Amino acid sequence: MSVTREKIRDFVVENFLFGESNGLKDETSFLDEGIIDSTGILELVNFCEEEFSISVEDEELVPENLDSINNVVAYLENKITS
Amino acid sequence: MRALFRHALIHHFLEESAQCYPGKVALIHDEKRATYREINEAANQLACWLIKQGVEKGDRVLLIFENSLEYVVSYYGVLKTGAVAVPVSNDIKPEGLKGLLLELDPVLVISSGRFERIIRATDFTKLSIKALVLNTPKFVGHSMSCPTYLWDEIIHEGESFNLDVQIEDSALASIIYTSGSMGQPKGVMLSHKNIVSNTVSICQYLDLSEKDIQMVILPFFYVMGQSLLNTHFAVGGSVVINNKFAFPASVIKQMVDEQVTGFSGVPATYAYLLHRSPLADYRNKLSSLRYCSQAGGHMPMQIKEELRRVLPEHTEIYIMYGATEASARLTYLEPDRLTEKIDSIGRPIPGVSLRIVDTNGLEAPIGKIGEIVANGPNIMKGYWKDDCTTAKVLDGNGYHTGDLGFQDEEGYFYVIGRKDNLMKVGGHRINPQEIEDVLMRSDLIIETAVLGIPDEILGHTLVAVITPKSETCSENNVLSFCAEQLPKYKVPSKAILVRALPKSASGKIDRAKCGELVCARQ
Repeated sequence: MSVTREKIRDFVVENFLFGESNGLKDETSFLDEGIIDSTGILELVNFCEEEFSISVEDEELVPENLDSINNVVAYLENKITS
Repeated sequence: MRALFRHALIHHFLEESAQCYPGKVALIHDEKRATYREINEAANQLACWLIKQGVEKGDRVLLIFENSLEYVVSYYGVLKTGAVAVPVSNDIKPEGLKGLLLELDPVLVISSGRFERIIRATDFTKLSIKALVLNTPKFVGHSMSCPTYLWDEIIHEGESFNLDVQIEDSALASIIYTSGSMGQPKGVMLSHKNIVSNTVSICQYLDLSEKDIQMVILPFFYVMGQSLLNTHFAVGGSVVINNKFAFPASVIKQMVDEQVTGFSGVPATYAYLLHRSPLADYRNKLSSLRYCSQAGGHMPMQIKEELRRVLPEHTEIYIMYGATEASARLTYLEPDRLTEKIDSIGRPIPGVSLRIVDTNGLEAPIGKIGEIVANGPNIMKGYWKDDCTTAKVLDGNGYHTGDLGFQDEEGYFYVIGRKDNLMKVGGHRINPQEIEDVLMRSDLIIETAVLGIPDEILGHTLVAVITPKSETCSENNVLSFCAEQLPKYKVPSKAILVRALPKSASGKIDRAKCGELVCARQ
């Protein structure tokens, strides 16, 4: 597992699943499964900005970038290399 | 607009639209598009199946769903049998669900895979639940303590024509739980007549027609969300369900793609849209957006003004006021009076009357502050199994809203705060809404909640929980602004800066969770 993936997974599990991964898969939609609400998404954004020294723009707040571990990892990798 | 006065029962909205516009798309959700005919036939099939299971008039049926086609079919299907639809908050936990089940004694639960874990963690024994219906279950083969049926299996059985169950319009139709943002959630009992009369009034003042397409981001278990569904189904319009408002950019994009004509939200919805979305960039693309409406609490003037600046010129803004106890709506402010009466909640909607009543129960003169008391066919029957609380809010004068306000010379109403939120700070009576409004004027913050934390000496001390606009904003900036604008006793002793204020499942600021946040930081 990549370091980025591990960090995102740990953050989600610790902050939204009370430390229980409950079968959270990398492709699980945070919103469809009720794992994260809109307040939580902003916490996730805040974490990504601080941890990976990036800035998430308003138009980047879309499910394709942030609604699963896979999507966040792909978004971050793209963001960091661009 | 069709003659809506012919409707006596809530599900007649669906049945008549299915007759007038059978092939019209009534609902859009992700890739799904369902017509009025399809929804009505599925609701009829569900209703037939429910009756076969022994569901009778007045029985409660719990709906534990995210906004979806299945929720809509279930809601109207349950109503067609004469049973009572009880939508449940998506935030429900096993302990809360157990309490609800004991309180409501439902005969059936309809839900989806997303909530299966919660349902399975809830003890169903000693209850009279006859069956559980699950859409897209995840744990197929796992046994439950009551018979479990798959949605797909039951929805394609039974007759698809309209049922002929005789139901009085005064019969209980739905129990909607208040958001609990002001305390314990209460089960509000609404009759067919309550909801139908309110739906017809709303359609009138918003001038809704079959051409309207509503973006729905508010949950259907919340009275305002349910009202969006009923009003648009009443006129043969369409609803677009988007459950991903956490990603506002994708919601705005879908509004453009689907040529949405109406958008509705609570104050926090608009704070979020203005500060965390590319709304301004889409100004020229929202050519179909006829109006935006806001209810669900006081929205600061700054947000209204900014919204007016950012939205396209042709988009009207409706400021509205209501309560779950009023089936949704009590007043609205005409968009053309917004600038002139920006702090007003407007005037009563058709069929509703409002009065300001003083502490002696007498009507207060113009300009004097008192409690807002409402009357009309939309006012609830009472709270479920809670005669004591019902008697506190319903009397010969009508429904006592618990909101303090006044009326101006032209009959426009203003809300200044909640009776329950008033607090004593060092002998002074404080209304937190007044301080929140001052804070919003600072241009430093997106949203705020001012809370009174119990204090042995002062009674309460004031703490402001704040989402700043910029990372450079500090607690000191905020408190200095307050000190310049407010008398000393109204200046919060502390400001806590957070990325976003906690919200209830309906999107409103959750003051209780804000309080927990303050305690954790003390």
